[in-house]
Amino acid sequence: MLDPAMSTVAENPIGIDDLESPLFIAWQITSLCNMRCHHCCEDSAHLMPNEMNRSRVLDLCRQIADMSIPYVAVSGGEPMLHPQFFDVCRFFRSQGIALKVETNGELVTEEATREMARLGLRSVQISVDGATAATHEQLRLKGRWQDAIDACRRLVAAGVRTEIVFVPTKFNIHETAAVIDLASSLGVYGIYTGKLMRIGRAAKNWQALCPSDAQYEEFFRVLRQKTHQYLGRMKVYYYPYDVIEELRVRVQSPSASLLVIPDGRVKLIGPLPFICGHLAKHSLREIWDRYRKAWRLPQVRDFVAQVLAEPSLVSRANDWIELY
Amino acid sequence: MKFTPNVKVRREKRGSVLFDTLREKVFVTNETGARIVEGIEAGLSPEALVAQLSAEYDQPAEVIEAEVRRFIESLRSNGIALTEET
Repeated sequence: MLDPAMSTVAENPIGIDDLESPLFIAWQITSLCNMRCHHCCEDSAHLMPNEMNRSRVLDLCRQIADMSIPYVAVSGGEPMLHPQFFDVCRFFRSQGIALKVETNGELVTEEATREMARLGLRSVQISVDGATAATHEQLRLKGRWQDAIDACRRLVAAGVRTEIVFVPTKFNIHETAAVIDLASSLGVYGIYTGKLMRIGRAAKNWQALCPSDAQYEEFFRVLRQKTHQYLGRMKVYYYPYDVIEELRVRVQSPSASLLVIPDGRVKLIGPLPFICGHLAKHSLREIWDRYRKAWRLPQVRDFVAQVLAEPSLVSRANDWIELY
Repeated sequence: MKFTPNVKVRREKRGSVLFDTLREKVFVTNETGARIVEGIEAGLSPEALVAQLSAEYDQPAEVIEAEVRRFIESLRSNGIALTEET
Protein backbone atom coordinates (compact mmCIF):
# COMPACT_ATOMS: atom_id res chain seq x y z
CA MET A 1 0.00 0.00 0.00
CA LEU A 2 1.21 3.47 -0.75
CA ASP A 3 1.59 5.79 2.18
CA PRO A 4 -0.52 8.88 1.41
CA ALA A 5 1.57 10.89 3.85
CA MET A 6 4.36 10.71 1.30
CA SER A 7 2.78 12.68 -1.54
CA THR A 8 5.19 15.36 -2.69
CA VAL A 9 5.67 17.82 -5.47
CA ALA A 10 8.94 19.61 -6.00
CA GLU A 11 10.83 21.44 -8.70
CA ASN A 12 13.37 18.99 -9.86
CA PRO A 13 15.58 18.59 -12.91
CA ILE A 14 14.57 14.98 -13.27
CA GLY A 15 17.18 12.48 -14.43
CA ILE A 16 16.82 11.36 -18.01
CA ASP A 17 16.92 7.70 -16.98
CA ASP A 18 13.71 8.22 -15.03
CA LEU A 19 11.79 9.47 -18.04
CA GLU A 20 10.06 7.34 -20.65
CA SER A 21 10.53 10.01 -23.31
CA PRO A 22 11.89 13.54 -23.72
CA LEU A 23 10.07 16.53 -22.28
CA PHE A 24 11.16 18.89 -25.02
CA ILE A 25 12.08 18.79 -28.70
CA ALA A 26 14.09 21.61 -30.25
CA TRP A 27 13.45 21.19 -33.95
CA GLN A 28 15.47 23.10 -36.52
CA ILE A 29 13.04 22.40 -39.30
CA THR A 30 15.09 23.97 -42.09
CA SER A 31 18.47 25.54 -42.60
CA LEU A 32 17.06 27.86 -45.24
CA CYS A 33 17.05 31.49 -44.15
CA ASN A 34 16.23 34.83 -45.71
CA MET A 35 18.94 36.51 -43.65
CA ARG A 36 22.69 36.06 -43.25
CA CYS A 37 23.23 37.10 -39.67
CA HIS A 38 26.88 37.48 -38.67
CA HIS A 39 26.15 35.93 -35.28
CA CYS A 40 23.99 32.99 -36.43
CA CYS A 41 24.83 29.96 -34.31
CA GLU A 42 23.66 27.62 -37.07
CA ASP A 43 25.38 29.16 -40.09
CA SER A 44 21.96 29.13 -41.70
CA ALA A 45 21.40 30.36 -45.24
CA HIS A 46 20.73 27.57 -47.72
CA LEU A 47 18.89 24.27 -47.53
CA MET A 48 20.90 21.52 -45.88
CA PRO A 49 21.39 18.47 -48.14
CA ASN A 50 18.66 15.90 -47.57
CA GLU A 51 16.37 18.02 -45.43
CA MET A 52 13.36 15.97 -44.40
CA ASN A 53 10.55 15.86 -46.92
CA ARG A 54 6.87 16.30 -46.14
CA SER A 55 6.33 12.66 -45.35
CA ARG A 56 9.26 12.49 -42.93
CA VAL A 57 8.29 15.80 -41.31
CA LEU A 58 4.78 14.62 -40.61
CA ASP A 59 6.06 11.24 -39.43
CA LEU A 60 8.25 13.01 -36.88
CA CYS A 61 5.23 15.01 -35.72
CA ARG A 62 3.31 11.79 -35.16
CA GLN A 63 6.20 10.20 -33.26
CA ILE A 64 6.43 13.23 -30.99
CA ALA A 65 2.73 12.99 -30.22
CA ASP A 66 2.87 9.21 -29.76
CA MET A 67 5.64 9.64 -27.18
CA SER A 68 3.56 12.22 -25.25
CA ILE A 69 6.29 14.83 -25.56
CA PRO A 70 4.65 17.94 -24.13
CA TYR A 71 6.66 20.82 -25.58
CA VAL A 72 8.26 21.58 -28.96
CA ALA A 73 10.17 24.61 -30.24
CA VAL A 74 10.34 25.01 -34.00
CA SER A 75 13.23 27.08 -35.33
CA GLY A 76 15.55 27.18 -38.30
CA GLY A 77 17.05 28.77 -40.34
CA GLU A 78 13.83 30.65 -40.74
CA PRO A 79 11.11 28.11 -39.91
CA MET A 80 8.35 30.01 -41.66
CA LEU A 81 10.11 29.39 -44.99
CA HIS A 82 9.44 25.68 -44.58
CA PRO A 83 6.54 24.57 -46.80
CA GLN A 84 4.97 22.51 -44.02
CA PHE A 85 5.46 25.08 -41.28
CA PHE A 86 1.79 25.64 -40.56
CA ASP A 87 0.93 21.97 -41.07
CA VAL A 88 3.40 21.17 -38.31
CA CYS A 89 2.01 23.90 -36.05
CA ARG A 90 -1.56 22.76 -36.60
CA PHE A 91 -0.70 19.14 -35.90
CA PHE A 92 1.08 19.87 -32.63
CA ARG A 93 -1.68 22.13 -31.39
CA SER A 94 -4.32 19.59 -32.35
CA GLN A 95 -2.51 17.19 -30.04
CA GLY A 96 -2.34 19.69 -27.17
CA ILE A 97 1.43 20.02 -27.46
CA ALA A 98 2.85 23.36 -26.31
CA LEU A 99 4.56 25.04 -29.24
CA LYS A 100 7.09 27.85 -29.43
CA VAL A 101 8.08 29.35 -32.77
CA GLU A 102 11.45 31.08 -33.13
CA THR A 103 11.44 33.40 -36.14
CA ASN A 104 13.04 36.56 -37.46
CA GLY A 105 9.53 37.92 -37.97
CA GLU A 106 9.86 38.84 -41.64
CA LEU A 107 7.09 36.45 -42.65
CA VAL A 108 4.73 37.21 -39.79
CA THR A 109 2.10 38.75 -42.02
CA GLU A 110 -1.42 39.70 -40.96
CA GLU A 111 -2.65 36.33 -42.22
CA ALA A 112 0.11 34.40 -40.46
CA THR A 113 -0.59 36.32 -37.27
CA ARG A 114 -4.26 35.38 -37.39
CA GLU A 115 -3.36 31.73 -37.78
CA MET A 116 -0.84 31.87 -34.93
CA ALA A 117 -3.46 33.46 -32.70
CA ARG A 118 -6.01 30.84 -33.67
CA LEU A 119 -3.58 28.03 -32.87
CA GLY A 120 -2.84 29.28 -29.35
CA LEU A 121 0.91 28.96 -29.51
CA ARG A 122 2.89 28.92 -26.28
CA SER A 123 4.79 31.86 -27.77
CA VAL A 124 6.36 33.36 -30.82
CA GLN A 125 9.93 34.56 -30.34
CA ILE A 126 11.13 37.35 -32.59
CA SER A 127 14.81 38.23 -32.95
CA VAL A 128 15.47 41.92 -32.35
CA ASP A 129 19.16 42.73 -32.16
CA GLY A 130 19.09 46.46 -31.75
CA ALA A 131 17.02 49.38 -30.57
CA THR A 132 17.61 51.01 -33.93
CA ALA A 133 17.39 49.83 -37.51
CA ALA A 134 21.06 50.63 -38.10
CA THR A 135 22.29 48.39 -35.29
CA HIS A 136 19.90 45.52 -35.99
CA GLU A 137 20.59 45.51 -39.72
CA GLN A 138 24.35 45.72 -39.26
CA LEU A 139 24.18 42.26 -37.65
CA ARG A 140 21.22 40.75 -39.43
CA LEU A 141 22.17 41.03 -43.10
CA LYS A 142 19.10 41.26 -45.36
CA GLY A 143 16.95 41.77 -42.28
CA ARG A 144 14.73 44.79 -41.72
CA TRP A 145 14.36 46.02 -38.15
CA GLN A 146 11.01 47.61 -38.95
CA ASP A 147 9.66 44.26 -40.13
CA ALA A 148 10.63 42.63 -36.84
CA ILE A 149 9.06 45.44 -34.84
CA ASP A 150 5.89 45.35 -36.95
CA ALA A 151 5.69 41.59 -36.41
CA CYS A 152 5.85 42.12 -32.65
CA ARG A 153 3.12 44.75 -32.84
CA ARG A 154 0.85 42.53 -34.94
CA LEU A 155 1.31 39.51 -32.70
CA VAL A 156 0.73 41.47 -29.49
CA ALA A 157 -2.38 43.08 -30.97
CA ALA A 158 -3.69 39.64 -31.93
CA GLY A 159 -3.16 38.31 -28.42
CA VAL A 160 -0.26 36.02 -29.31
CA ARG A 161 2.23 35.67 -26.46
CA THR A 162 5.27 37.36 -27.96
CA GLU A 163 8.86 37.28 -26.80
CA ILE A 164 11.91 39.12 -28.07
CA VAL A 165 15.30 37.46 -28.30
CA PHE A 166 18.34 39.71 -28.15
CA VAL A 167 21.84 38.36 -28.81
CA PRO A 168 24.64 40.62 -27.55
CA THR A 169 27.71 41.30 -29.66
CA LYS A 170 30.29 44.07 -29.74
CA PHE A 171 28.03 45.88 -32.19
CA ASN A 172 24.81 46.00 -30.19
CA ILE A 173 25.54 45.31 -26.55
CA HIS A 174 25.46 49.03 -25.77
CA GLU A 175 21.77 49.04 -26.75
CA THR A 176 20.73 46.34 -24.28
CA ALA A 177 18.79 48.70 -22.01
CA ALA A 178 17.16 50.42 -24.96
CA VAL A 179 16.07 47.10 -26.49
CA ILE A 180 14.48 46.05 -23.20
CA ASP A 181 12.66 49.37 -22.96
CA LEU A 182 11.56 48.94 -26.58
CA ALA A 183 10.26 45.46 -25.78
CA SER A 184 8.22 46.90 -22.95
CA SER A 185 6.81 49.65 -25.14
CA LEU A 186 5.74 46.99 -27.64
CA GLY A 187 3.85 45.16 -24.91
CA VAL A 188 5.60 41.83 -25.36
CA TYR A 189 5.45 39.12 -22.73
CA GLY A 190 9.18 38.89 -22.22
CA ILE A 191 12.69 39.35 -23.50
CA TYR A 192 15.33 36.63 -23.56
CA THR A 193 19.06 37.11 -23.78
CA GLY A 194 22.38 35.61 -22.74
CA LYS A 195 25.95 35.40 -23.86
CA LEU A 196 26.79 34.94 -27.53
CA MET A 197 27.46 31.29 -28.39
CA ARG A 198 30.68 30.38 -30.19
CA ILE A 199 28.97 28.14 -32.72
CA GLY A 200 28.22 28.33 -36.43
CA ARG A 201 28.78 31.65 -38.15
CA ALA A 202 29.29 33.33 -34.79
CA ALA A 203 32.35 31.13 -34.28
CA LYS A 204 33.77 32.19 -37.64
CA ASN A 205 33.29 35.85 -36.72
CA TRP A 206 34.18 35.41 -33.07
CA GLN A 207 36.96 37.97 -32.74
CA ALA A 208 34.86 40.64 -34.38
CA LEU A 209 31.69 39.83 -32.46
CA CYS A 210 32.50 38.66 -28.95
CA PRO A 211 31.94 41.38 -26.34
CA SER A 212 34.74 42.10 -23.89
CA ASP A 213 34.58 41.08 -20.25
CA ALA A 214 33.92 44.71 -19.34
CA GLN A 215 31.05 44.89 -21.81
CA TYR A 216 29.55 41.71 -20.40
CA GLU A 217 29.91 43.06 -16.87
CA GLU A 218 27.91 46.13 -17.85
CA PHE A 219 25.44 43.94 -19.80
CA PHE A 220 24.59 41.88 -16.74
CA ARG A 221 24.38 44.97 -14.54
CA VAL A 222 21.81 46.39 -16.95
CA LEU A 223 19.91 43.11 -16.99
CA ARG A 224 19.71 42.98 -13.21
CA GLN A 225 18.47 46.55 -13.12
CA LYS A 226 15.90 45.99 -15.87
CA THR A 227 14.68 42.76 -14.31
CA HIS A 228 13.86 44.75 -11.19
CA GLN A 229 12.39 47.66 -13.16
CA TYR A 230 9.97 45.46 -15.11
CA LEU A 231 9.15 43.00 -12.36
CA GLY A 232 5.53 41.92 -12.68
CA ARG A 233 5.10 43.71 -16.01
CA MET A 234 7.44 41.99 -18.43
CA LYS A 235 9.67 38.97 -18.02
CA VAL A 236 13.35 39.82 -18.44
CA TYR A 237 15.00 36.46 -18.70
CA TYR A 238 18.72 36.00 -19.07
CA TYR A 239 20.92 32.98 -18.80
CA PRO A 240 23.91 34.12 -16.76
CA TYR A 241 26.30 31.42 -17.90
CA ASP A 242 28.13 30.90 -21.14
CA VAL A 243 27.97 27.80 -23.25
CA ILE A 244 30.99 26.28 -21.51
CA GLU A 245 29.30 26.49 -18.14
CA GLU A 246 26.20 24.98 -19.73
CA LEU A 247 28.26 22.00 -20.89
CA ARG A 248 29.82 21.60 -17.45
CA VAL A 249 26.31 21.23 -16.01
CA ARG A 250 24.83 19.17 -18.83
CA VAL A 251 27.47 16.49 -18.85
CA GLN A 252 26.51 15.77 -15.24
CA SER A 253 22.80 16.31 -15.70
CA PRO A 254 21.69 16.06 -19.33
CA SER A 255 18.42 17.76 -20.11
CA ALA A 256 15.38 15.74 -21.19
CA SER A 257 15.44 17.22 -24.66
CA LEU A 258 16.44 16.29 -28.17
CA LEU A 259 17.76 18.65 -30.84
CA VAL A 260 16.58 17.65 -34.31
CA ILE A 261 18.39 19.21 -37.26
CA PRO A 262 16.82 19.69 -40.69
CA ASP A 263 18.00 16.42 -42.26
CA GLY A 264 16.59 14.36 -39.38
CA ARG A 265 19.77 13.79 -37.47
CA VAL A 266 19.57 14.35 -33.73
CA LYS A 267 22.29 16.12 -31.79
CA LEU A 268 23.14 15.60 -28.15
CA ILE A 269 23.15 19.33 -27.50
CA GLY A 270 23.88 22.44 -29.56
CA PRO A 271 27.45 23.11 -28.37
CA LEU A 272 28.64 19.52 -28.97
CA PRO A 273 29.27 17.95 -32.39
CA PHE A 274 27.81 14.56 -31.56
CA ILE A 275 24.92 12.98 -33.45
CA CYS A 276 23.14 10.28 -31.47
CA GLY A 277 20.65 9.14 -34.08
CA HIS A 278 19.11 9.69 -37.48
CA LEU A 279 15.37 9.69 -38.08
CA ALA A 280 15.96 8.10 -41.47
CA LYS A 281 17.31 5.04 -39.69
CA HIS A 282 15.94 5.11 -36.15
CA SER A 283 12.62 5.79 -34.52
CA LEU A 284 12.45 8.73 -32.14
CA ARG A 285 12.06 6.27 -29.27
CA GLU A 286 15.25 4.49 -30.30
CA ILE A 287 17.02 7.81 -30.52
CA TRP A 288 15.88 8.71 -27.01
CA ASP A 289 17.52 5.50 -25.75
CA ARG A 290 20.68 6.26 -27.72
CA TYR A 291 20.70 9.81 -26.38
CA ARG A 292 20.58 8.62 -22.79
CA LYS A 293 23.41 6.18 -23.35
CA ALA A 294 25.47 8.64 -25.36
CA TRP A 295 26.08 10.95 -22.42
CA ARG A 296 27.94 8.13 -20.70
CA LEU A 297 30.22 7.35 -23.65
CA PRO A 298 33.92 8.04 -23.00
CA GLN A 299 34.11 9.75 -26.41
CA VAL A 300 31.56 12.32 -25.29
CA ARG A 301 32.85 12.81 -21.78
CA ASP A 302 36.43 13.15 -22.99
CA PHE A 303 35.45 15.73 -25.58
CA VAL A 304 33.52 17.75 -23.00
CA ALA A 305 36.58 17.65 -20.73
CA GLN A 306 38.67 18.96 -23.63
CA VAL A 307 36.20 21.77 -24.30
CA LEU A 308 36.14 22.74 -20.64
CA ALA A 309 39.94 22.96 -20.76
CA GLU A 310 40.02 24.73 -24.13
CA PRO A 311 36.72 26.58 -24.73
CA SER A 312 37.57 27.49 -28.34
CA LEU A 313 36.95 23.82 -29.24
CA VAL A 314 33.23 24.51 -28.95
CA SER A 315 33.54 26.20 -32.34
CA ARG A 316 33.66 22.65 -33.79
CA ALA A 317 30.09 22.01 -32.63
CA ASN A 318 28.78 21.94 -36.18
CA ASP A 319 31.50 19.54 -37.44
CA TRP A 320 29.18 16.66 -36.75
CA ILE A 321 30.42 13.32 -35.45
CA GLU A 322 28.18 10.26 -35.61
CA LEU A 323 28.22 8.25 -32.39
CA TYR A 324 27.88 4.46 -32.41
CA MET B 1 -9.83 22.66 -9.67
CA LYS B 2 -7.46 22.44 -12.63
CA PHE B 3 -3.93 23.02 -13.79
CA THR B 4 -3.04 26.22 -15.58
CA PRO B 5 -3.19 25.93 -19.38
CA ASN B 6 0.57 25.80 -19.82
CA VAL B 7 1.13 22.94 -17.41
CA LYS B 8 1.48 19.57 -19.10
CA VAL B 9 1.13 16.43 -17.04
CA ARG B 10 2.74 13.13 -17.87
CA ARG B 11 2.67 9.86 -15.96
CA GLU B 12 6.05 8.26 -15.40
CA LYS B 13 7.17 5.00 -13.84
CA ARG B 14 7.64 6.45 -10.36
CA GLY B 15 5.18 9.30 -10.26
CA SER B 16 4.28 12.12 -12.55
CA VAL B 17 5.97 15.04 -14.22
CA LEU B 18 4.32 18.45 -14.25
CA PHE B 19 5.94 20.63 -16.89
CA ASP B 20 5.13 24.33 -16.77
CA THR B 21 5.97 25.05 -20.39
CA LEU B 22 5.60 28.81 -19.97
CA ARG B 23 8.13 29.13 -17.17
CA GLU B 24 10.02 26.11 -18.52
CA LYS B 25 10.09 24.54 -15.08
CA VAL B 26 9.73 20.85 -14.37
CA PHE B 27 8.12 19.52 -11.21
CA VAL B 28 7.95 15.89 -10.19
CA THR B 29 5.70 14.03 -7.83
CA ASN B 30 6.07 10.64 -6.27
CA GLU B 31 3.60 7.83 -6.86
CA THR B 32 1.10 9.02 -4.28
CA GLY B 33 1.24 12.54 -5.65
CA ALA B 34 0.61 11.09 -9.09
CA ARG B 35 -2.62 9.52 -7.87
CA ILE B 36 -3.81 12.92 -6.66
CA VAL B 37 -2.73 14.52 -9.95
CA GLU B 38 -4.75 11.93 -11.84
CA GLY B 39 -7.77 12.78 -9.76
CA ILE B 40 -7.32 16.48 -10.47
CA GLU B 41 -6.97 15.76 -14.18
CA ALA B 42 -10.17 13.74 -14.04
CA GLY B 43 -11.90 16.83 -12.69
CA LEU B 44 -12.50 15.55 -9.18
CA SER B 45 -13.13 18.05 -6.42
CA PRO B 46 -10.93 17.85 -3.29
CA GLU B 47 -13.84 16.16 -1.52
CA ALA B 48 -14.26 13.56 -4.26
CA LEU B 49 -10.51 13.01 -4.30
CA VAL B 50 -10.51 12.36 -0.58
CA ALA B 51 -13.39 9.92 -0.93
CA GLN B 52 -11.65 8.04 -3.73
CA LEU B 53 -8.31 7.81 -1.97
CA SER B 54 -9.93 6.85 1.32
CA ALA B 55 -11.51 3.92 -0.45
CA GLU B 56 -8.15 2.90 -1.90
CA TYR B 57 -5.87 3.44 1.06
CA ASP B 58 -6.20 2.02 4.50
CA GLN B 59 -6.08 5.40 6.20
CA PRO B 60 -8.63 7.48 8.11
CA ALA B 61 -10.45 10.00 5.92
CA GLU B 62 -9.13 12.94 7.96
CA VAL B 63 -5.55 11.85 7.29
CA ILE B 64 -6.23 11.58 3.58
CA GLU B 65 -8.01 14.93 3.55
CA ALA B 66 -5.13 16.69 5.27
CA GLU B 67 -2.71 15.11 2.83
CA VAL B 68 -4.72 16.07 -0.25
CA ARG B 69 -5.10 19.65 0.96
CA ARG B 70 -1.40 19.89 1.75
CA PHE B 71 -0.53 18.56 -1.70
CA ILE B 72 -2.88 20.95 -3.47
CA GLU B 73 -1.44 23.85 -1.50
CA SER B 74 2.02 22.72 -2.56
CA LEU B 75 0.94 22.79 -6.19
CA ARG B 76 -0.41 26.31 -5.69
CA SER B 77 2.67 27.59 -3.91
CA ASN B 78 4.85 26.22 -6.68
CA GLY B 79 2.91 28.25 -9.22
CA ILE B 80 1.40 25.25 -10.91
CA ALA B 81 -1.66 27.28 -10.14
CA LEU B 82 -4.68 25.31 -9.42
CA THR B 83 -7.80 27.39 -9.54
CA GLU B 84 -10.90 26.65 -7.55
CA GLU B 85 -14.00 25.60 -9.36
CA THR B 86 -17.17 27.33 -8.40
